[in-house]
Amino acid sequence: MIEIKNVSKWYGSFQVLTDCTTQVSKSEVVVVCGPSGSGKSTLIKCVNALEPFQQGSIVVDGIAVENPKTDLPKLRARVGMVFQNFELFPHMTITDNLAIAQIKVLGRGREEAVDKGLKLLDRVGLKNQAAKFPGQLSGGQQQRVAIARALAMDPICMLFDEPTSALDPEMINEVLDVMVQLAHEGMTMMCVTHEMGFARKVANRVIFMDRGAIVEDAAKEDFFGQPRSERAQTFLAKILNH
Amino acid sequence: MNYHWDWMFFFQETDDGLKYYDWILSGLGWTTFVSLASLAVALTLGSVLGVMRTTPKRWLVGLGDAYVDVFRNVPLIVQLFMWFFVVPELVPEKLGIWMKQDLPYFVTAIVGLGLYTAARIAEQVKAGINSLSRGQRFAGLALGFTEWQTYRYVRLPMAYRIVLPALTSEAMNIFKNSAVTYAVGILELYFQYKQIIEKTSQVLEITIVVTLSYFILAFVMNRILAFVEARTRVPGLIVGQKGGK
Repeated sequence: MIEIKNVSKWYGSFQVLTDCTTQVSKSEVVVVCGPSGSGKSTLIKCVNALEPFQQGSIVVDGIAVENPKTDLPKLRARVGMVFQNFELFPHMTITDNLAIAQIKVLGRGREEAVDKGLKLLDRVGLKNQAAKFPGQLSGGQQQRVAIARALAMDPICMLFDEPTSALDPEMINEVLDVMVQLAHEGMTMMCVTHEMGFARKVANRVIFMDRGAIVEDAAKEDFFGQPRSERAQTFLAKILNH
Repeated sequence: MNYHWDWMFFFQETDDGLKYYDWILSGLGWTTFVSLASLAVALTLGSVLGVMRTTPKRWLVGLGDAYVDVFRNVPLIVQLFMWFFVVPELVPEKLGIWMKQDLPYFVTAIVGLGLYTAARIAEQVKAGINSLSRGQRFAGLALGFTEWQTYRYVRLPMAYRIVLPALTSEAMNIFKNSAVTYAVGILELYFQYKQIIEKTSQVLEITIVVTLSYFILAFVMNRILAFVEARTRVPGLIVGQKGGK
């Protein structure tokens, strides 16, 4: 579904990604972790071309992202993305947040779009918040709406960029629960997260990044059992001992 | 003070058979018309320029920056004279003659005042867009919006809300700045004011009336935009909420 091959990226002369290669198969859940500044958020943003990269290739569902002829809006409409800071549109009601891209990008009728949005809102447990504005919801609620908004586009896969990092601890689980449910339903997911509990529960593979490179790319059991790299061992020891 | 107050002179007949208050009303009409039309030009062009200056396209940014540099750094009255006297000589001859002979004065005045104010509005629109988080654009793009759609549905609606107080000042300024167009022959309020002083020498009365007229025009504009601000306020958002107290 997602094939990342030898991707390198520079900001000026500073290299942020170095020869990254990995893939996410259909219905697979891949967790990307690593210390801050390791390039994980940059890598996931390269997948739907929110960030350009200078070398290598990324193919999503058979379409090369870096190809200048690729219709990026069309491709992105099929790849759901959830951001660290939710990024709901603050001037629109929750209903409109859920419906707008369905209407303007997919060309669905308003009634159909609202209907679909409200069904997904119900699925993330927020049916009664439809008329509110994002600023009136808690962080956890906003992030669940953001997931519903992405799902409303019927994506072929979902990208999560640190979806729980901006949340208060008591709200993290309500978001993770939605993500676990998605994983169980067979959604193809690439998640940048430090939630190792989530990784243990649903991930097929775990990727560990450091200084812009993929240091470890292993099946979940191997990663948590005995990571090969020393750097990953140190990292795990630090975040698991709390 | 030996000044002879005479408030009734407004009802005296003028040379052209009208009353002096008719001149004032006519001036008010022109001031309002020229100001609102210029505001429409300024908002439209200013928004386009403001957006241009926030795009990833270098040449669009450069073009927008150059416009703002030129039009913000030259006094309004000089710009008006440019449009009236210099530009017709620089364009192809036929067009120049048409500009001098057939193009109504008020159109040139509106364009001049509009283009001047557009530079200021471009600056504000740009500031509004840049005050939004980068993630808002990403979120729009990730949903499949084109770059333009992220402006139309995501960024501009918030940017306008954020800079509405500054735009309100600009809208009030345009009424005051429109007085300069008397210099290129627009029969607006300030022109009538000068004319009435020459004819009647009732300087104090007419000054008081004209002062109040400009005050009311700007104040009404202020109230209208305050209403717009209240109507477009986003529930649950700190930006744009009444602070203090």
